[in-house]
Amino acid sequence: MMDCKNIREILDLYVDGELSPEANVQAEAHLAECVACRTTVARLNRLRQAVRTAVGQHQPTSRLMDRVRQTTISWRRRPTTWVPVAAVVMLIAVMALFAPQIRSAAANELEVAAFHLDDSRATVMEGKLLCRDCQLKDEYGYHAMCPLTGHHGTLQTTNGKIWNILDGEVSEELIHNSKLLGRTVRIHGRCFRRASSIEVDSYEVL
Amino acid sequence: MFLGWTNRARHFERDALPHLPALYRMARQLVGAETADDLVQETFLRAWKYFETFDSATNCRAWLFRILRNVWISRWRKSRLELPLTETGEEQIEPYYDWEDEFLHDEMSAEVERALSELPADYRLTILLADVEELTYQEIARVMECPIGTVMSRLNRGRKMLARLIRTYGEGRGSKPEEFVRRKT
Repeated sequence: MMDCKNIREILDLYVDGELSPEANVQAEAHLAECVACRTTVARLNRLRQAVRTAVGQHQPTSRLMDRVRQTTISWRRRPTTWVPVAAVVMLIAVMALFAPQIRSAAANELEVAAFHLDDSRATVMEGKLLCRDCQLKDEYGYHAMCPLTGHHGTLQTTNGKIWNILDGEVSEELIHNSKLLGRTVRIHGRCFRRASSIEVDSYEVL
Repeated sequence: MFLGWTNRARHFERDALPHLPALYRMARQLVGAETADDLVQETFLRAWKYFETFDSATNCRAWLFRILRNVWISRWRKSRLELPLTETGEEQIEPYYDWEDEFLHDEMSAEVERALSELPADYRLTILLADVEELTYQEIARVMECPIGTVMSRLNRGRKMLARLIRTYGEGRGSKPEEFVRRKT
């Protein structure tokens, strides 16, 4: 059984709920019978409540809460960080496409990438038959000799790329029959990307 | 605990940000109204930076108070001269005698705050963590980085000092609190 001296030594633990269950039972038993100790407990609890009231009256402003949010969880979402950077990168990329040297370098890189994909598998290509030399004349001012040597058929696919047709028994008509120029054809054969050339196994005029 | 950005923000919003009012009221008692916002903001900045190290099985509020205390010590505490506490981890607990007379009345918040401000900072912090934030002694010991025995003695001595200061102000006797604190410690 606790006496007054015992309980007044452990009052902090009692009011803070830190006593063991057994000690708490003993403390309750003494307090039930001792008015003076009960009054002291009440004073201590009033002091704790007064501290809570005095300190708890202050609340943070919404401005502080906004500031904290902005500098923690919202920081990355602010447009001032990544949007301008992305815009500059995009601008440089677009400008690069209009600079001939850069565009050429980029095209070469694309070709290199394409070469790595080159495996000469059987393929079907569809496009329009055009004269190779006349195309070069139209696009680059090449001095075409077609009136003397005749037209030279080549295949332009829908992406604008021009493919050489390799000479062979089947492809002879495609290369040298000028009546087929301008016609759309479908060629079955093999594709050599590195040489921009196609070997014709068969074809059909559409 | 590695979290992606979205998860990290979601957990921080759920676990840490709700304690902002608690950190603010503590900051007010440590550095005053003018600087409390800065202390709170720096605390949350640091908490956000090290949130990966927070163990979600523990009390986030206690973790935040520990950060706040560290920020306060490193940034603000040195600016105020204060007598060092002459205490050891195993200080004697003094029984509560002479507590039967009434010293608290309604509307005494101003006196209570004034008395709190005169307490040695470690006593003040310990009392606030126990009485306002209702942390356990174990959690307070972690926040204060001291043994539980020191928490108990600080509460015991701090509450007695606080009661006497409030009584003094309430009675309007006007004795200098610093002299009181110095004499008692």
